[in-house]
Amino acid sequence: MSDGTDRRVDIAVALFLIVVCAIGLFETRSLPPGTFEPLGSAPVPQAVAGLIILLCLVVIVRALRRPPAEPDGLERSWLDAGAVILFTLAYAAAMHFRLASFAILTTAFLTVCIGALVRFRPKSMPVVLIVALATGFGCQYVFTRVFIVDLPGL
Amino acid sequence: MDGLLSGLATVFQPLAFFYCVLGTVLGIAVGAIPGLTGAMLIALTLPLTYYMTPTDAVVLLISMYVGAITGGLITATLLRMPGTPSNVMTTFDGYPMARAGKPGRALGLGIAASFVGGLVSWVFLWQLSKPLSIWATRFGPFEYFTLIMMAMVLIASVSQGSMVKGLIAGLLGMLVSMPGVDPSSGQPRLTFDWYMLNGGLKLLPVLIGVFAVSQIISDILELGRKVERVEASSSGILIRLRDYRKHGLNMLRSSLIGTFVGILPGVGASIGSVIAYTAAKNVSRTPERFGQGAEEGVVASEAANNATVGGALVPLIAMGIPGSVIDAILIGALMVHSIQPGPTLFLTNADVVWAMIATALVANFVMLAVMLGTAGWVARLAYLPRSHLLPVIVVFCIVGSFGLDNTMFDVWVMLIFGLIGFALERARYPLGPFVIGFVLAPLMEEKLRSGLMMTAGDITPIFTRPIAAVFLLCAVLLLVWPLIGSWRRRPTSDSLAE
Repeated sequence: MSDGTDRRVDIAVALFLIVVCAIGLFETRSLPPGTFEPLGSAPVPQAVAGLIILLCLVVIVRALRRPPAEPDGLERSWLDAGAVILFTLAYAAAMHFRLASFAILTTAFLTVCIGALVRFRPKSMPVVLIVALATGFGCQYVFTRVFIVDLPGL
Repeated sequence: MDGLLSGLATVFQPLAFFYCVLGTVLGIAVGAIPGLTGAMLIALTLPLTYYMTPTDAVVLLISMYVGAITGGLITATLLRMPGTPSNVMTTFDGYPMARAGKPGRALGLGIAASFVGGLVSWVFLWQLSKPLSIWATRFGPFEYFTLIMMAMVLIASVSQGSMVKGLIAGLLGMLVSMPGVDPSSGQPRLTFDWYMLNGGLKLLPVLIGVFAVSQIISDILELGRKVERVEASSSGILIRLRDYRKHGLNMLRSSLIGTFVGILPGVGASIGSVIAYTAAKNVSRTPERFGQGAEEGVVASEAANNATVGGALVPLIAMGIPGSVIDAILIGALMVHSIQPGPTLFLTNADVVWAMIATALVANFVMLAVMLGTAGWVARLAYLPRSHLLPVIVVFCIVGSFGLDNTMFDVWVMLIFGLIGFALERARYPLGPFVIGFVLAPLMEEKLRSGLMMTAGDITPIFTRPIAAVFLLCAVLLLVWPLIGSWRRRPTSDSLAE
């Protein structure tokens, strides 16, 4: 029963889940049995992880029975998505290490991120800058002065 | 009736009514922007509700829920892009109607059907919630355990795609909810000796990651997609009484289907609209017109998807079981405000419950007014450049996750679950069971363990207590039925020889 997924994706995700569950099973093996109640802390996560592993094996077997899909080139949109993910991780890391204020980091993140999505076209960049500045400094003002919410960053 | 009147009085307080209008308008706006969903909006709004009273918070969130389901109708009709997944069936007939020069009529029928669907399901919400919650107070731990088990199997079995993947997604959600200090024994588990995990993974960062971040990544992949548009026109948007008479039966039937599909735990608006559309097509005298601009198609789809809202709130209010993914987020919202969803909600927080019920009614009227007055303008939101919008939403995701406890740990959790959600979605694992498994697993485990404590480890009451046994039987049937179905569909050697 195929749901139209590329079998490589199916196998990769199932293997990832198997590894996660195996780590979970390994971590729960040292949990002591229950003292005041019959079940204890370990059996439920162990049963759940075991079931996931079993079902993932079913997914892998089904995927292996399907013919492989034609390999496709790396599309531009995948590069865009990869770039946004990388910029987001860098933005979060910069806030984690408090490299600058929220407003400055957000403005920089949005300029680079939206800029990359519009291919840094000179015609689009003024709008990108306006959006970045308005969001960065606007959010800082609204969240700290109106909603009284702490923001990440310096 | 007193409860409802007090709920209505709460919703018509100036601030609460402002939240109701704001929530409905925001819901419609987000619903009208393809790629943004009601679940995303509600998950991102949740952190802002910490500073509200619980009543104001539920008024805002439920209004968003009602608005978001309806807003998707506009882009489904004018752009052939369902604003939310529940509007997919509307595109089949709404867009051909719009291309045939009747965009206003298509929108008008959709809005009228949405309104009727919302009202019909609200009547069930009003009348069923309290009796059902009183009945549910008789449940012991084994009944609850088997009810949640049945709900999980049901969610997995009706989720789009493979049932095995639905089950994996549900189980994965359960596993992800387990790190932290075990509430029954006080023993840390699955924490890897990392103190940040002692409190477990919080619902909000996981939700924002799974619904918002993964959706943003998916949307970026679709940025280059061309949009076929039809100019918005409000001409014919006001539906006459004779149209209600003409489509009344279809509206009522679809609303009832939507309501009952909504009541089933975890089964959302998408499935309700598919079933209602199919039913309308099956009883139509002109089934061949479906897919080519049949008015009945728009009516059936929109009445049903809006009816699921009220239906889905029934198990949430009566039993603390989410009727849809958005209801799972609403459960999280209640818990954030220290309100424990479940059958005792009518006793412990009657004001909040009646405000929820009243909001479901008032938001429908607000939705009708806003949609009739602004459908043409709202349609233009779909042309907002998503390359500008999506990174801004990333900023809101980070602020929302950070705001929970002022810790970057939650931001990293949100980002990691965004990537996991994206990977799961690429491999066609439904995300609904994941979230509902995440929300329900702690309750399910707690009930099982307290039941076993009561019986000194004896599991047989699951089979001998009538209600528990019925739930268990349903779970088994739901699990086995698709397998039997696929086995019966398998070609025999004789048919292959033929």
